[in-house]
Amino acid sequence: MSSVTPKQKAAALSTVELDRRAALKLLASGMALSLASCGKPPEEIVPYVDQPERLVPGIPLKFATTLDMAGYGRGVIAISVEGRPIKVEGNPRHPASLGATDVFAEASVLTLYDPDRSKAPRGPKGIASWDAFGDALRTQMEKEKTRAGAGLRLVSGRITSPTLLRQIDGLLKQFPQARWYRYEPVSDDNERDGAIMAFGRPLTPLPRIGEAAVILSLNADFLGSGPHQIANGRAFASARKADAGAEQFLRLYVAEPVLSLTGANADHWLAIRPELIRNIALTVAATLRGEKANAPLPPEAEHFAAAAAADLKSKAGKAIVMAGRAQPAELHALCHTINNMLHAPVDLIEPVDPAGKHGEALHAFADDLSNSRIETLLILDANPAYDAPRELGFKAGFPKLPFSAHLGLYDDETAAICHWHLPLSHTLESWSDLRAFDGTASIVQPLIRPLYDTRSMHQVLALLGGALSPVSYDLVRETWQPRGGDDFDSWWRQVLHDGVIAQTRHAAVSAQPRTIAIKPAASPAESVLVLAPDPSIWDGRHANNAWLQECPKPLSKETWGNTLSVSSRDAQQLRCATGDVITLKYKDVSVEAVVRVTANQAGGAYATTLGYGRRKAGAIGDGAGFDVYPLRGIDEPWLMSGVTIAKTGKTRDIPTTQGQFRLEGETTQFLPRVSLAALAAGLKGPPFEEGPKPTLYPPVQNDDPYAWAMVIDTAACIGCNACLVACQAENNVPVVGPDQILRSRVMHWLRVDTYTDANGGIQGFQPVPCMHCEHAPCEPVCPVAASVHDREGLNVQVYNRCIGTRFCQSNCPYKVRRFNWFGYADDEEYANLGEPPIKAQHNPDVTVRGRGVMEKCTYCVQRISRARRNAEKENRTIKEGEVVTACQAACPTRAISFGNLKDARAHVNALRKEKRHYELLGHLGTRPRTTYLARLINPNPDFGEAKS
Amino acid sequence: MPQIFRPSADTIARILLVSILIGPFVAIGIGYAVTQSPYITGQNITMKQPVPFSHAHHAGDLAIDCRYCHAGVEKSAFAGMPPTTTCMTCHSQLYTNEPMLAPVRQSLAERKPIHWQRVHRLPDYVYFDHSIHVAKGIGCTTCHGPVGTMPLMRQHESLTMGWCLSCHRDPTPYLRPENQVFNSDWKPPADQREQGKKLLAHYLIETRHLTDCSTCHR
Repeated sequence: MSSVTPKQKAAALSTVELDRRAALKLLASGMALSLASCGKPPEEIVPYVDQPERLVPGIPLKFATTLDMAGYGRGVIAISVEGRPIKVEGNPRHPASLGATDVFAEASVLTLYDPDRSKAPRGPKGIASWDAFGDALRTQMEKEKTRAGAGLRLVSGRITSPTLLRQIDGLLKQFPQARWYRYEPVSDDNERDGAIMAFGRPLTPLPRIGEAAVILSLNADFLGSGPHQIANGRAFASARKADAGAEQFLRLYVAEPVLSLTGANADHWLAIRPELIRNIALTVAATLRGEKANAPLPPEAEHFAAAAAADLKSKAGKAIVMAGRAQPAELHALCHTINNMLHAPVDLIEPVDPAGKHGEALHAFADDLSNSRIETLLILDANPAYDAPRELGFKAGFPKLPFSAHLGLYDDETAAICHWHLPLSHTLESWSDLRAFDGTASIVQPLIRPLYDTRSMHQVLALLGGALSPVSYDLVRETWQPRGGDDFDSWWRQVLHDGVIAQTRHAAVSAQPRTIAIKPAASPAESVLVLAPDPSIWDGRHANNAWLQECPKPLSKETWGNTLSVSSRDAQQLRCATGDVITLKYKDVSVEAVVRVTANQAGGAYATTLGYGRRKAGAIGDGAGFDVYPLRGIDEPWLMSGVTIAKTGKTRDIPTTQGQFRLEGETTQFLPRVSLAALAAGLKGPPFEEGPKPTLYPPVQNDDPYAWAMVIDTAACIGCNACLVACQAENNVPVVGPDQILRSRVMHWLRVDTYTDANGGIQGFQPVPCMHCEHAPCEPVCPVAASVHDREGLNVQVYNRCIGTRFCQSNCPYKVRRFNWFGYADDEEYANLGEPPIKAQHNPDVTVRGRGVMEKCTYCVQRISRARRNAEKENRTIKEGEVVTACQAACPTRAISFGNLKDARAHVNALRKEKRHYELLGHLGTRPRTTYLARLINPNPDFGEAKS
Repeated sequence: MPQIFRPSADTIARILLVSILIGPFVAIGIGYAVTQSPYITGQNITMKQPVPFSHAHHAGDLAIDCRYCHAGVEKSAFAGMPPTTTCMTCHSQLYTNEPMLAPVRQSLAERKPIHWQRVHRLPDYVYFDHSIHVAKGIGCTTCHGPVGTMPLMRQHESLTMGWCLSCHRDPTPYLRPENQVFNSDWKPPADQREQGKKLLAHYLIETRHLTDCSTCHR
């Protein structure tokens, strides 16, 4: 985690004693050499031997494929330049993408080129070959054949791929005694058990959020990261359209122990101990039945529950109650009952992930390990040595295994204790198939031949079955052969083109829930630790992705690590402050953690995220944050009652991006929140202003056909950060590392600001790219005219003129300019980011900026230019929708609109006429081209005094 | 005591004074001349290529269309270099044993591409696009010179930013009708100014945006 580059280290080591004479000699020869070396080094053009059809060098190709998110598929369109995938965008046909992406999809191209990926198989005696592994495996499998696979065990994460399931099924038939354990650190066991309780079978609820008018979320973070995030975000935004009218406009109640992304978007938010959440559900159920609730709640929570219950009841048919993964199965079952009473718009489908409980698999695995029943263990892209619960005794049981092999992208914690480590092909390198959360199947097609000597999971499973040189492509096609019919090849081409297989969505089934009697909870006395997957690195699998590590967490804006969030009330009692290092103890395990004090948390609940404290993640992920997996139990993965905190006296700085850019003053001016009633009455006063401010500058008027502008609807923004990472991927934005972040030197061209009220409650999110002011304050102060306007209203930064005075940065009221204090992308990269494979990701249409140069958002000028050239070649003007900026394309909720103000029919013109439209810091007279729509809230008018 | 300064010292002092005044201008002038010289711009320098390909023979004598080999020129920013198979469409029949063509045959046999030395080189922060220039009536020879007479390819123009801008500010002297773009013998007609203005309107060229930084730099 050091920011010292190898070069700096080398320079420090080689300090040689110099006398004056030698110094002068070196100086002279240096001058002579620099004069003589002015010539450019020769450059080669290397054409193809046989140019592939369709490929024209310089024109990017797009292919539909599917990326994996915790085992579920997410359709994307990958952009390939001369055979290198450099960017992914959403696939509008795919139900889990809807044309948008999330941070994990955007960052997947960086993982593909990660220099830390393992490149060759490693055997018990060091680097080996696939042939050597094949031989060792055959010997082992011969033994297994004689005992019907009694010692064979497969361990994997969630698998929804029909081909993999078919292969595993075949393997288990071939070796009837073999077992397959499937577990995910972020499991849905409670949800599954709840469905079994209610319906007698593990049905998956899919709420139709877009049709809802009221939602009560009981610790359910449906807008947070995960396979559903994009679809839920889109539906949420569509249900909260300004023109929907007060009756239809979705109102969101959230009760949870720790503020989540969903909570930050709620109209009414309640901080409550996780154990007490069931009492809210009981209150709601009783109210719906017309009974009196017998579930004690604190007064504030009682008020919340009563208001939510009344609201749900009045909107029956358009009201949904959801429970989160940390809540017990009974509560999920109760929610099914409540939803049934409400006639809630919730579809029930057969589970997409067919395997049973994750917890049961772990118990069976632990049992097998401790009883030495495992002879041949194959770990398929899972990392139990890092993320399995403590009682598995994985590390103790492991050395006794006769044969173990780990297949994965990285030589990680699990690989280190296995006999064999096998490098896995990245999703962008292999053929496969995946199902989305709703069952829709799609094909994974490779964008590039494997960079290293890697194999796909299909190939390794086929090797296990005895195949000699299996080909993933054939295996996947074999699976779909029956479906494709007689003309399979045309069917296949169509499926590859669409990126989705039609009519594979699981059909909704109807089921009546049984009524479950659950007891109310009493107020707990002990402190509880609340765990959640991390919004940046999920369960730790993305830990070595520098874009994700540096992506500020939506609510806390931390980067490069996790913190233990403690409510301000508890912090006062414990006398600890943000940055204090404490010891977190649960049962007999303790972990050192850094405290972050927050107002948005229930007293008695501490919270942190999974995935940090990796020991063998790679150069990026190692050592960042602290690992809480050791505290986790198989049956208590999310809530740990009885944790204690002890101060250590140490402190640590938390690399955050928030403080440094907070604009002082009234947040109401910068991110106004208006209710539907206020909107209907008309918005007056700043920041909603009538006319332009007087100015001394000449008016910006020309008869050019374009004037680019962006409008960001803060009512739709859920704060997911997809735009931020998309911008980073598109524009070659470098990573600076934690030390530089601590010095406030972040490089993201687009940041997502959060605003808080006086109590620290989150008021909303505001993505801030460059405003492209018509009267840009950065321009007059530049001594070398590196910051200038072009005729289409773009405030452009000319890197080759820039001499790095940073005057423009000081004069920018929005603080959107970024300075290359070091060669972040120019020979002084963080950790291993300067290694050659990373360069393959760079977008060839965007300059990689050098040291000492200012940079900022360009409105994706390369995309505008491409559209313009295409249009001009056809002798027409650019049409609406032809230029889509990277942030706009990524946005799950379509909060960002971009277009041409000179086009009267452009969407941005319509948005600029909306009542909610305002300019950020408009009173300065900068006349920004990026403008905003005010955040909309829909509080319950009957809610009364209680805190919203 | 003899005089310290002899009468000639006056002359030396005058020369020194004048050169202090003129010196900086001369130095800047020399510096500017160096940056514009072929040493820096690479103008008119031929390079050693793996195969001494003659544009004079192929494009001039045989009059093969530019697009036969540079197939991407109408679609892409990059005009495209012919894959080995393009060379072999003819040379599998013609000059099949010519020693000069050995690298081409070897490339095909071993499936290894030919490494050509780049002749026309722009800095990395210049995003030049062939297709839009060709579509808007800028002929190949306007920038690449009389390619049909060059036995070995060389950079005919300086390719400095000033050179680019001279046309971006006023393209009329260079614009050709659509059917003349790939004609390597095209000569501007006597009334090119008039013709150019008509073509400017015909191609809908918006010259004002052409001098924006963002047109070429991103």
